[in-house]
Amino acid sequence: MTFARNQVAIAGYAQSPIVRHADRTLGAIAVDTARAAIADAGLNVADVDGFTTGSLLPSSGGQAIVDGMSIVSAAWMAESLGVNPRFCSGFVGYGQIPGSVSLAVNAIASGAAETVVVHRALHNPPKGRYHGNPMTKAPGTAQWMAPMGYWGPLSMIAIPTMEYMQRYGATREDLAEVAVEARANGAQIPWSYWYDKPLSKDDYMAARVLSDPICMYDCDIPVDGVAAFVFTTAERAKDLANNPVYVQGFGMGSPTRARIPQHWPLEDIVDTGAETAARLWESSGLSVRDVDVPQLYDGFSPLVWWWLESLGYCERGEAFRFVSEGGINRANGGLPALSSGGAIGNGRMHGVPQMLEVYLQLAQRAGERQLASANVGVACHSSPHYGGAVLYSAHEL
Amino acid sequence: MKPIPVPDATSAGYWEAANRGVLALPRCSRCSHFTLPAGALCPHCGSTDPAWTTEAVAGDATVRSWTVVRDSFLPGFAADVPYVIVDVELDVEPGLRLLGRLTDGADAPLHLGDRVTVAFDRLDDEFAVPAFSLTEEQVTS
Repeated sequence: MTFARNQVAIAGYAQSPIVRHADRTLGAIAVDTARAAIADAGLNVADVDGFTTGSLLPSSGGQAIVDGMSIVSAAWMAESLGVNPRFCSGFVGYGQIPGSVSLAVNAIASGAAETVVVHRALHNPPKGRYHGNPMTKAPGTAQWMAPMGYWGPLSMIAIPTMEYMQRYGATREDLAEVAVEARANGAQIPWSYWYDKPLSKDDYMAARVLSDPICMYDCDIPVDGVAAFVFTTAERAKDLANNPVYVQGFGMGSPTRARIPQHWPLEDIVDTGAETAARLWESSGLSVRDVDVPQLYDGFSPLVWWWLESLGYCERGEAFRFVSEGGINRANGGLPALSSGGAIGNGRMHGVPQMLEVYLQLAQRAGERQLASANVGVACHSSPHYGGAVLYSAHEL
Repeated sequence: MKPIPVPDATSAGYWEAANRGVLALPRCSRCSHFTLPAGALCPHCGSTDPAWTTEAVAGDATVRSWTVVRDSFLPGFAADVPYVIVDVELDVEPGLRLLGRLTDGADAPLHLGDRVTVAFDRLDDEFAVPAFSLTEEQVTS
C-alpha cells in the first residue's frame, strides 16, 4: 500500500478572529474566511471544485444544530460560494481535521477534484452551558451514562487521566506544565483568545477542579472561529502564491473493544494511539526523528502526554516526567509541541491551531515564531485512539 | 430530576433486573460471553445472531479508575455533587467495564485494584441504577 506522497499540497489559508461570541453569524464568517483563503492562494472562487469539512459541534449539550448558524457543512459552503462542486463531503467522527483533510487528499489524488477548500467552523452557543443538558429521559446510548450521573467530556477524560496518575505517579503539578506551556505560547499569538494572557502555575493550581483531576484550565475555552485551507495538486501549487506544503502521510484509527459509550479507558487510548502513529510513519516513510514541527493536540491537557507516548517521543508512563523536565518548553529549547498555543492557548478551534502552525512553519510564514528548522510537521487532532494525524513536508520527498 | 433510562429491546432485561436489585447482563447464546451494552452482534464471537439472554451475575469487580464529579452537567445531579464515578472491571467477564457511582462518598480512599461490589441507586418507583460499594477484601493489585 502506497500513500499519495508528493501529489497534494496546501496552497493557502485564512483564519477568522477567535472570539468568545462573534457579532456575526458563523456562516458569514465562514464564507469570508473561505474567500480569503482562496485569495491567499492566488486563486479565484471559480478555481475551486471541491469542499470538505467536519462540521461537528463538539458539545454534549442540548443545542439546536442549524447549518450556517451553529455548524457550517461542506454543502452549505459550496452553495453559499456559488460553486457546483465536483466533490463535496463531510467527515463524520472524531478527528475532524485529519478526517476532512483525508477526504480532500483522496479527492485530489484520485482526480475527483483539483482544488479543495477544507474549512472548520467552531461555534460557542450564546445561551446556556456548553455541555449542560437538561434531559430527564435517557434513551439510546445516553441510558448507559446519564442515569448514573456520568455525562460530558470532562468525566470522560478525567477517568483515564486518574488512571494514568495513579499508575505512574503523575500529579496535577505535572498536568499544569502542559496548560502553562500552551498558554505561554498562546499569549504571544495575536489572533488567540488568550493573547497577552499567560497562565501562571499558581493560578492553575488554585483553579476549581471540575472532575478530578481535571480543572478548568485543562480544558480549552469555547469560541467562535473559522479556518480554511486550500488544497490542490502539487503541480498546481508550485505555480501559486505561497510555498507549497506537501501532504506526505496520514494516520487514523478507532478502537475495536466494546465499551460503554464515551468510556475511554487508558489502554484504549495508548494501544490504538500506537497503531495510529505506526500508520503515520509507514505511510510517510519517515519516523519521529524526522519531525521538526510536532503539533500535539491539547483539547484536554493530558492528551499531550498520550500523543507524546503514542508518537514515540516517550515510553508509556513517562510523558508526564518528560514534560515536567522541560521536554516541551519551547522557550528553553524543548520540542515546539505547543508552539501554536494549541487549543488551550487559542480557544476551542479543534485541531486548527496544530494544522495552522504546521502550515505556517513549513511555508516559512510563521513570522516571529518561525523555527530555524521547519521541514517536516505533524498535525494531531483529538485523542490518539479516535483522532489522527497528518504529516506534511516543506519539500517533496 | 435525574435522567431516567428509556429501555429498548436489548436493555429491557437489564433495567428490569436492576429495579429488583439484581445485576443482569446480556449474554451471547453462541459463545456465552457477557457484554454491555448488547448490540446487533456479539463483540466476542462476531455472531450476528447472538440471541441475547439476560443473566444475573455476581456484582464483584475491581476498580480500574475513577473521577470525583464536582460540577455535573446534568441539572438532576446538581444537589449530589461531589460524587465519585468508578470505572470497574467485572469479575464475571474479564475486560467488561462498567461505570457507576461509588456509594462510599467523595472522600473515600480509593486505589487502583480496590475491590467493590454492586449496589443500586433508586431513581423512582420503576428504575434503579447500578452503583458500587467498597468491600473489606484485601487489595491484591
